[in-house]
Amino acid sequence: MTLSTKSFEIFCGTGGVGKTTLATARALNLSQNGKRVLLITIDPARRLKDLLGLQGDAVGEVTEVELLGSKLHALLMSPEKTIQRMAKKYNTPDLANNRIVQILSKPYGGMNEILSMVEVQMQFDSGSYDVVVLDTPPGAHFLDFLESLGKIRSFFDQNFIEIFSYLGQKTAKAGKKVFGMGIINRFISTGVRKLLGYLQNVTGAEFIDDFIQAIQIIYQSRDAFLKGLSLQDRLKSRSECNWFLVTSVEQGKAQEAVELRSHASHFIHEDHYLVLNKCLEQELKSWNPDESHLIQVKASLEGKEQLLKKKLNEVFPVVLEFPEVISLSPTDHIQHLTERWKSYAPQG
Amino acid sequence: MESLTRRLYIFTGKGGVGKTTLSKSFVRYLVEHDHEAVYLTFQNQSLGEVHTGTSEKTVNGIREISLDLEECARGYIEKRLNSKIISSWIVKTPFFRALINMVPGFSYLIYLGKILEMGKENPRLIVVLDAPASGHALIMVESTTNFKQIFESGVIFEDTGKMLARLNDPEYTKIHVVSLPSLMSWQEALELRAGLKERTPVNIDITVNNCLFPLLENDLEKLPEGLREKALNEKQLIQENLSEMRCILPHSLSREATAIEADLVGSLSKLI
Repeated sequence: MTLSTKSFEIFCGTGGVGKTTLATARALNLSQNGKRVLLITIDPARRLKDLLGLQGDAVGEVTEVELLGSKLHALLMSPEKTIQRMAKKYNTPDLANNRIVQILSKPYGGMNEILSMVEVQMQFDSGSYDVVVLDTPPGAHFLDFLESLGKIRSFFDQNFIEIFSYLGQKTAKAGKKVFGMGIINRFISTGVRKLLGYLQNVTGAEFIDDFIQAIQIIYQSRDAFLKGLSLQDRLKSRSECNWFLVTSVEQGKAQEAVELRSHASHFIHEDHYLVLNKCLEQELKSWNPDESHLIQVKASLEGKEQLLKKKLNEVFPVVLEFPEVISLSPTDHIQHLTERWKSYAPQG
Repeated sequence: MESLTRRLYIFTGKGGVGKTTLSKSFVRYLVEHDHEAVYLTFQNQSLGEVHTGTSEKTVNGIREISLDLEECARGYIEKRLNSKIISSWIVKTPFFRALINMVPGFSYLIYLGKILEMGKENPRLIVVLDAPASGHALIMVESTTNFKQIFESGVIFEDTGKMLARLNDPEYTKIHVVSLPSLMSWQEALELRAGLKERTPVNIDITVNNCLFPLLENDLEKLPEGLREKALNEKQLIQENLSEMRCILPHSLSREATAIEADLVGSLSKLI
């Protein structure tokens, strides 16, 4: 089994399985093969953050990292920084200054997934990288990440344009600055007007004004958001993207991995791999306890792992196994896992 | 029956640390101690996903509720505007759907509102929430504060203010972060706890799940090298951080989820 290299590699899976460490090891493996690699990560554990040098000023900025003698680039997502880059690139400075946009783009404001899509697109467009390795947010929220593409579309949906025209008129009356909404002013639906009336009943008037402004500003930057959409086709394409679904023996949850895949079925093509981390099989093989309680422990550990592998092999075309690295040093982990990736990847 | 003021227990932690098993087991513990308790999860994070509506079932005597976002949103709006027709229409409008879906914090606000509403209807009910994993737990806890800042006045502003007061009341809410006994998992649990602490004054305890130590304490020499090192690492981690660990739960030798749940019940009194 060898893995071919694509422009995008997506790591997803339930958290706490060593997903970020595996993704980092993969990025390092690609870089050792001479690729220009950018690793984008969302929420790494602190030790890994330290190892990658992604603290302080480096948060949200592409940083060159030297790991085990190889260089790669890494970026720790900061929604705020992404918004600033968008504002600069698309010349929409208001985007970075709007109060509501600022609150929502706080680190846990909830815009991480959607902005990570925009970030991947902007970074790849820069032409500086052969491969972008993306470590997605953990758990079922990987699904949010996938859906974010659809959300961008629905946010800028044609139906939705109606609201801008209505809002444009309203702010004009209120004597506020009006953005270029003229061409769509004809399509005012009474539905939108009614909805805003109700909204105002519960939210108060100040919110409506701020909100209108936020929506208009986001709308001005729609090109940046919509560009994220073109990524959708590339991630779907077998020639451009490898998908890695990560789980671990410790978790013992085949079901979650299967569910992840079925939720993501419109995205995932044949080139997807189940990565099973922290396997104890080799370790347990050499153990022959003779006391009954230890036999029970061995059977429990071995039985759970075998059952998991059996279930996974039934549903995934390829299962890549990685042994549990028993070491306290994250560098050791990355080194062992990079070696393991080497055995799966073509040498260059 | 001992009296208990807390009405909301939130279990969070990285995926796969055993949150679901542990929260169900904790509901069982509460029920066995004559409390009225329910296991609760959020079914979906966005509108328009395939959904089956809020569902409730009883499994081995434990009530399990899976909340549906659209139903909760409709219920809230209906209450506020006094009209079923208008609320059904609002949640179907593309604008409303797009708004909720673009901003996940909104969906948590709706869910948390529903949980507090359930508490109003039945003041004795204890909700055990099998909450979203790490990053999203922070989004959830922060959502009330963020939205209170976003809405500066109006009914929603007042409602989020009330929610915030409840969620931030240590007598009402408690958060359990679940971890595995590995260094990485432990550090992530500490980071999550620190993140949560910045956002809420309620008690946040860490429970360590699935421990080989002290189960294998007397058998260390009999283990193969790697496994021994794993158990020793656990031992070191547990000994060094004992004071930070609310509860240490042993590896269960059972295979089935319900049997594992039952194995744990006896060890959960500290989670109250």
